[in-house]
This record gives sequence, structure tokens and C-alpha cells, in this order.
Amino acid sequence: MRIQVNARNRGFEFDARSRESVLYAGLRAGIDLPYECATGTCGTCKAKLISGRLHDGWREAPGRKYVKPEQHEFLMCQCAAEGDVMLEVSKFVYAMEPGACTPDACTGIVRAPRRLAHDVMAFGVELEQPRDFDAGQFVLLAPAGLPGYRAYSMCNFERGGRQLDFVVKRKPDGGFSEWLFGADREGERLETFGPLGKATFDPALAKNLLCIAGGSGIAGMMSILSRAARERYFDRYRGWVFFGVRMMRDAFFLRELSAFKRQGLEITVALSDEDVPPSARSEWPELGFARGPVHEVAKRMMAGKYQEVRAYVAGPPPAVDAAIRVLLLEAKLTTDNIRYDKFS
Amino acid sequence: MTKRLVCRVADVPENGLRECEAEGGLRLVVANAGGEFFGVQAVCPHQDVPLCEGLFDGSVLTCHMHLWQWDIRTGAPLGLAEAPLQRYPLALEGGSLYLGGDATALDVGELFNGIAAGTIDSLAALARRESYQAGAMLYRPGDPAEDFFVLDSGRVEFLVGRREHIAPGGFILRKGEVFGWAALLDGYPARIASARCLEESALLRINGKAALRVLEGDPAAGFIVMRRLAALIARYLASSGVK
Repeated sequence: MRIQVNARNRGFEFDARSRESVLYAGLRAGIDLPYECATGTCGTCKAKLISGRLHDGWREAPGRKYVKPEQHEFLMCQCAAEGDVMLEVSKFVYAMEPGACTPDACTGIVRAPRRLAHDVMAFGVELEQPRDFDAGQFVLLAPAGLPGYRAYSMCNFERGGRQLDFVVKRKPDGGFSEWLFGADREGERLETFGPLGKATFDPALAKNLLCIAGGSGIAGMMSILSRAARERYFDRYRGWVFFGVRMMRDAFFLRELSAFKRQGLEITVALSDEDVPPSARSEWPELGFARGPVHEVAKRMMAGKYQEVRAYVAGPPPAVDAAIRVLLLEAKLTTDNIRYDKFS
Repeated sequence: MTKRLVCRVADVPENGLRECEAEGGLRLVVANAGGEFFGVQAVCPHQDVPLCEGLFDGSVLTCHMHLWQWDIRTGAPLGLAEAPLQRYPLALEGGSLYLGGDATALDVGELFNGIAAGTIDSLAALARRESYQAGAMLYRPGDPAEDFFVLDSGRVEFLVGRREHIAPGGFILRKGEVFGWAALLDGYPARIASARCLEESALLRINGKAALRVLEGDPAAGFIVMRRLAALIARYLASSGVK
């Protein structure tokens, strides 16, 4: 199927596979179509059908509240072409830069699932083909038999990598997390599409790094910090990590974060629902601990230190919104220095 | 013009926002910028997010959803924002705010907004208002590029190339967007694309040389306009990493 996209600045043409969403086909062709979640929630990939027919794979997608079906609007991440189609995207669209990690579909195998905390699981995905992915990116995962993709940030980064590492927090009605926690999934197959996401980090940034993460939002931070640490970035720039969890029993990656501390970062674990137990400080002497929501702890401890700062924020939407409010209104960061990833 | 009540001054907190419905039905957001009041469109031009839920520090308004930002005084986009805000001039009378006339396409335009009122007036005097039906052709490749256009309403698409090698060259749809800007450049006497109205459209047509003479008389405005024109052209050349 041939897809033509008319954007504000120019047109693009590319081919789509059978049942492949318009968004994934375009991204795979190296066209930087607008998206944020790529999984039907945020509405960023809204487009307008000019001619041809589409199949909507998920009519109940939460992001449909942003589209006007009577004006032929649709979500590119959820709709596949049935024959040639022409569509309009009311944004400036460009080809991806040379060297960007172009996403594609790839089959993978679950490797070494293991519990990190009572409701947090780590696992790897071994890919059939090697892929490039940058620090801070995410991929979409779909286990066999479970409808639709879910987005998860990698904890690692690689060029020509075969292994993706993830952490997943158990959610009451989260289809993927129930699948993962429900049985031993070692060796099971899943489909992947990626890498995606522009909240990436490159050491050429040359700024101090502030990471504010709620819960499993720490995953993407780990890849960013690993990338920075590998280049000995923190010999030259400062780094702060604020990791928000409810209670000590929810925390994980504390050993890995302690290792980053030895590279010169300041790391604070924020506990929103309990006072810091004395054992936390004796068990993890290299980490700081504080009581409070993560954005408030960060606000308290970062006052006066926002010069030349790039902030990365990830976690549940209320936590991310609260942190962004602090970064804009208190820290006076410009929006290009705030990179965020809202789980939704 | 009949006065349309928007709200009472006391209803808008200091350095805060309030969504109001003006008499007659228009919804807008009123911002209190240190005791000065500015009216802008109620929803973000990006997605349908209410701007009253945004962040406002007394001068910059930020939509909380994707961090688009604007200068509240001019509606001009800042940072990540790809479109200006429609402004609604407000008049203060006896503790209440009233809606004035709508800002014109030149006032809100991406090239001219915020420049001296006298210069805007001189440009407005050069402008000829034209209306076109859907499908109307405004120019074709090779046509003389003497005039530029400011969109007031409607939608215009561009096609590049000739005969069987025609490719889409983008489209414009926002009030105040400028096209046909070859007329403002030296050494580009002819059109390189065709421009066609996709729907019923209203335009301001302005002679490029005459506009340049106006700007020569106000070099501060001319400098702003040329900077913005350079940014606008660069945007068509940019790659994805830039914006």
C-alpha cells in the first residue's frame, strides 16, 4: 500500500505493510511523523484522511477524544491503510536526521524475568535482529495473544544491540504487567516495534543533568545515566537524580544508583508515604533519602542550582505535571531543556 | 461596535488566568499580567486543551500538555510552539473588561505582530482584501512574484514541479500566516510553486516592494520582520532535530 502524507511544509510518500499502522510505516521509512505515546493515548499523531480507506484497530483508544471523526480525523498509531491512502498532517514534518535510530518491527524472546521489588519486575528481550537505540528511548511490546502494543523504556542503550532491558511495575489492570507477573515468561515470544522517543541524551549536550523519576520512570533514566557515565560525563558536569517511590519496600536499583554516586552524582530517594527508616541510610550510605512527593523534594534540594541544567522527567502523569510546573515556574528552565515521558 | 462584557477585573487573579465567556458567546482566556489584561483564545492551537489549565508566570503562558508557550502580550509563539495565539483586544472600563474588535490578520501575523502600530497601519493601507472560492488558483510557477499574501481565513495549498512531476509543497491554514514571500526577497522575480485555495479563503494581498519601502521607513520593524522571515524560510529547510 502506498501512503501519501501532506504536511504543512511538504509531502512524503512511503509503503505500508498489511495491517501496519500508518504511523509505524512512516517512522520505519525514516519520516519523523508526529507522535508521543505511539499507543493510542496522547492524540499527538492525529491526522486527516483525504482519500482511501483505513482500518481502525482500536476504536476505544483514549486518544480518540482528541479527534473529530466527522472531519475524517484519526490516530495514525491505530489505523492501517486498506489500499492506497492520502492524508494530511497539520504540522511541520521532516525526514529523520542521518544517523537517527530508525524504528522497525522485530520478534524477541523474553529473557531472565526477575523481581526487583514486591511489585516491580526486570526482564530482558533478546531480539532476532540487532538494533540501534539511544539512551532514553522506548519500544513497543506485544506478547503473543495479547492485543495491542505497550510502551516501555529501555534501561540500556546500544548500537547493533541484541538485548533490551526493562523494568515493569505491576498495575492492577495492566494487561502486560499481569501477563508478566502471572507466570514465568522465560523464553516466550513477543513482537516489538522501536526504538521510539525523542527524550534522548547525547553527551554533546554539555549541560548539568537533573533526573526526576517516579516509580518505573527510573528505567529511562538508567540508560541516560549509563550513557553519561560511560563517557565520564560527570567529571565535567553535575548530575542530580530524584527517585520517587511510596515506601522503602517499593524502591529498586539502589545498588546501581549507588554506583552512579561514585561517579559524582547526587542521588536522592524520595518517599512519599512514609518517614525515612533509619535502616535506609545505614544500608545505602551513598544515597540521600527524604520524605515527600518527588517534585517537592527536588524543588527543596535544587533551589538555586538550575544554571545550565537539562531536566529529564518520567513517571505517572500527575507526578510529571507537578515536576514540570516546578521546572517552568520555579527553576525557569526553557521548554527545550525539559524532556518528559508521561506514562498513560 | 457594541461593547461585549467579558468579566470583572476582580475575577482574574494577579498573574493568573481565567476562562470567560463574553456576551454573545465567545470563549476566551483572560490573563492578568501585573495589572494589565490580555485576552487570548480559550483552547491551545495544538490540541483541544483548555489554556486556563496552563501555567502562567505573569508574562509567558505555557500549555501544560505539550509545553507550547506564548508571549501573552503579543500571542507570539515561543520555544516549542508552532502557532501563535489568537488575541482579543480588551478594553477596561469601570472595573470590567470588554471585548474590542478582533485583531486583524496583520496584527496576529507571523511576520508583523508586535511592530509599531503606525507601521502596521501603513502596511494595512497597502493591503487589498480578496476572497476566493475553493479551488481558485492564486498563482502558478513562472508567474511574476510581485505580491505576498496574508491569510485571513480558509486554507491554501502549494504544489511544486510541473506537469507529471507535481508534488505537494505544504499548506497554510492559520490566520496571519504569510505566503508568496518571494515578493519580499531580492532576485526571486517569479513563483516557483502554485498556490490554490483548498476552501473558501480570504486573503490580504500586499505589494512586496511597497511593503519594503514602508519597512525602510521603520528600520526597527524592518529588522524584526526580516528576522522572522529568515526563521520562516529556515523552517522549510530544517531537519527534524531542529524544531
